[in-house]
Parts: sequence; C-alpha cells; structure tokens
Amino acid sequence: MLDFFTSPVFQTVIAALNSGFVKTLELFFVTLIGAIPLGLVIAFGSMSRFFPLRWLSRTFVWVIRGTPLVLQIIALFYVPGMKEWFYWPSGESGRMTAVCAAFIINYACYFSEIYRGGIQGVPRGQQEAGLVLGMTKGQIFRHVTLLQMIKRIVPPMSNEIITLVKDTSLARVIALQEVIWMGESFMKGNSGISGLVWPLFFTAVYYLIFSGVVTLLLAKLEKKLAYFQ
Amino acid sequence: MKNAKRIAALVLSLALILALAACGGSTGGDHDTQPPSDAPATETPASGSDVSTATPPASDSDVESDLAYVQDKGTLVVGITYFDPMDYKAEGSDEWIGFDADMAKLFAESLGVTAEFQEITWDYKVEELNSKAIDVVWNGMTLNDEVMAAMGTSVPYCLNAQVLVVKADRAAEFEGLTSLEGLTVAVESGSAGEDAAEALGATTVPVQAQANALMEVSAGTSDAAVIDLLMAGAMIGEGTSYADLTYTLNLNEAQGLDSEEYGVGFRMGSDLVETFNAFWAEKVADGTVLEVATTYGLQESVILD
Repeated sequence: MLDFFTSPVFQTVIAALNSGFVKTLELFFVTLIGAIPLGLVIAFGSMSRFFPLRWLSRTFVWVIRGTPLVLQIIALFYVPGMKEWFYWPSGESGRMTAVCAAFIINYACYFSEIYRGGIQGVPRGQQEAGLVLGMTKGQIFRHVTLLQMIKRIVPPMSNEIITLVKDTSLARVIALQEVIWMGESFMKGNSGISGLVWPLFFTAVYYLIFSGVVTLLLAKLEKKLAYFQ
Repeated sequence: MKNAKRIAALVLSLALILALAACGGSTGGDHDTQPPSDAPATETPASGSDVSTATPPASDSDVESDLAYVQDKGTLVVGITYFDPMDYKAEGSDEWIGFDADMAKLFAESLGVTAEFQEITWDYKVEELNSKAIDVVWNGMTLNDEVMAAMGTSVPYCLNAQVLVVKADRAAEFEGLTSLEGLTVAVESGSAGEDAAEALGATTVPVQAQANALMEVSAGTSDAAVIDLLMAGAMIGEGTSYADLTYTLNLNEAQGLDSEEYGVGFRMGSDLVETFNAFWAEKVADGTVLEVATTYGLQESVILD
C-alpha cells in the first residue's frame, strides 16, 4: 500500500490533479469576489421602486436562474466569436475568463435573491426605530438593516458557496482543465499514463477536504455573527 | 433625497438598456472593420472557391483570408484531445508530441508562426473553430460526412479503422460477427465509431469520449465499445486499467467498407486548406512525413501518394 503512494505514477497523478485543483480554486475565489458585490447591485435593482429597473432586474434573474449554468458557459464562450462580436483571448486564459464571467453572473443572481430575502426580512419596526432616532435613510441601511441582514444570510449563503465548490466542475465543458478534467485525462492518457480510472474518483478527496474547510470557516463566521442572541 | 434615488434608478436602467443595445450594435460595427478593410475583396473569394476539393462550395460569402488572420496574430492554435500516438505528452514532459503535433509544428513554422496546442471538448470542435478559439482541428480526425459538411478539410493523410472492444473473457462470442443486433455498444458521441455501430444494428450508448466508452465496457454497463484502432492499441490491454479488455472485430471490414481516413479540419472556406495541402504534398515528396510517421510507428497507416 505504501509503495503505491510513493510510486512515480501516484506522484505524476497528484501533480496533475494539483494543477487542476489550482484552477478550481481560482474559479471559486474569483466567482465569490465578483458575485458577492454584483449580487447586491442586482438585489437593489430587484427592490427598486422604479418599475422599469425592477422589471429588468427581475427578468434577468429569472433568465439566469431559469437556465442551466452549463448552457450559459457554452453560450458565453462560443457565441461572441461565432457572431464576431469579440474574441476571448486565445489559450487557457480566455477559457478561464469566459468561465469566470459566466459563474459570476450566475451566482450573483442567486446571491441577489438571498440578499433580498435578508433585507426584506428585517422587521419594519427596526427602520421606524431608526427614523425616530433621527437617522438618515443611508444610516438606517448601513447601521440597522445591513448589519442584521448579514447575520441572517449566512446559512443560505453557506449553502450556495458549498454548491459553488462542486459547480466549478461544470467548467470542463469548454475544456477548462480543472481537477475533474485532470482526473479524467488519465483514462485517455496524460504524461504517458493511460487507462487509469482511479484518478477520476480520487478527485472526490479534493472536493471533500475543500468543502470541509469551507464549512468550518462558514460555521465560525456564523458563530461570530450571533451577537444578538 | 427621494428624487435623487429616482434619478439614479433611471440612469441605471438606461445604462443597462444601452449596454444590451450595444451588444447588438457592435455586430455591425465589427463586421465593417474586420473582413473587408484588411483583405482586398478581389483576393479572398478566389482562394475560397479553389479550396473546395473535398467540400461543397463555401457557404460564407464574406470570407476573409484566414491565412492572413493567423499570420497577423502570430500563433496557429491547434485544437486537440489527448490521443496517443497523434497528440500526447511523453512521461515527465510538458511538450505536446506525436505524429499530428510534430507535423503541426512544422506547418506553423512554414507559415512563420508558432503552434499553440489547446485541448478541446471533441463535441464542440466546429464551434471552437467558428468562434476562433482555435484555428485548426488536427487530432486524428476521421473524415466523415458531418466533418466534411462543417469544416474545410484537407487531403486525407492517414488510414484508420473502427474496432470493437470487449471483455477479454467474452472475446470468443464476438469472433466473426457480421451484425451487432441486440448488443449495447458504447460509442463516442459524434464519432465515426457511432456511425459504424449503428450501421451494424447495435443499440448505441453515446458517451463523451472514447475513454468513457471503455469505462462502460469495463463496468459492464455496455456489452462492447467501438473506438479507433490506433487508440485501442494504446489504451487497452496489459499495463493499463483496462487489462481485461481486448479488441476483436474490425467494423470497417465487417461492413465491407474501405478503411477510414484522417484529415485536418479548418474553418469552412478557409484559404489555409489550400496552404496546408501544398505544404503536405511538399513534405510527402521530401520524405519528412514518412520520417515523422516512422518515429511514432505509423509508417503502415500514413498515406504517401
């Protein structure tokens, strides 16, 4: 058994899976960094009292949440070039950019609905109390609503974030070489090794460990935010 | 305060509408700047129609010079999948080698550009070409009707056949079959193997890659798989995870058909097809093709006339 873990084949496979997992992580973090603020913008749009903006924003959320992410990735990567609108940079970086864009848009829409729920779930009395204290609308939003919204949205956000860990594997549809792609590559052949099936299943270890770490961090955050109990 | 918010909302929604409209608008804009201005109109249609040796006349009327486009950006992006002995990496090396990869490097050199290899999802090879994510599909691609209808294809350069892969302990059952009726056969979706299996009456299970087809057989979820002869040689048997698999039947022979041929695919109507054919004829004549083919054990399969 120990021989297996020190064998050159195992080393080669792990090196390849690691390189794939770096791409998975890159996609994961770029998506979070982009989607968390963009989601807030979309949430404001969906709650706007200005009808056309609200309608546009809600239609957009409906379209993005109502179609499969995998389809959005394919469309975003191939359609601009086929229609000669613009071309993604060639090589791996272009694929990464296109996939990140698709993930950010998709996740921002899901996040926006979580934010909206969090904001609208804060009792009206809280805002009225702020008014009584002479706070401006902006102050009420920042110091009263936002504060309470953040602690409310942690559990549903955790759910989405854990889903995101695994959704990154959809990027392989346009041949972004993330960890599942690298695992599968040994079935067909990679670095002179072919016909190996176990690397594909071994990628599960990466996902499990990573989602475990994310779960722990989010639980910690939830505990830290439980200051009103 | 309230008014300011309303105005902000109005501005935002106008910006969104404009952004959406801009997407549509830029189509026309790009069209104007790209094809006609940098390629003299008289030159391109001529090269486009000369190309059609194996393909129907190019449907695109606004063909720009693909050769100029590639030379302009300085790279020839070659779309591949990992395919020993055509496009693969030697153990411990990060460089793409193989019969196709080596010839692609020579071809890029003859154009004065560098070859860049990009792994693609095989199902999307046509979309990859048309969206200019890649410039050429050069990966042991069988020239079948679908490929020739969607791409500008080169002269055939290599022979191939489709073989039936089965579990070694059941191999005797499949000896000398002329029909696959009643069998569940895993095939790569969109491959020549899929056509061959269907022609012989098999119930096909289309999967994403030839490698997945093998997993179907290994897991017992399909009776057999149909893959390329050249790949079967590299992927199954001793020293692989598929040591219990073997290939028995040559489906081309079983159908009484000729061998299949591999070709290189460019964008429909591209002038690179003609450039490639001239390059290839020259390399066959000076012996380079045979030499490279021999390096990878393909001297029997390569087409030299």
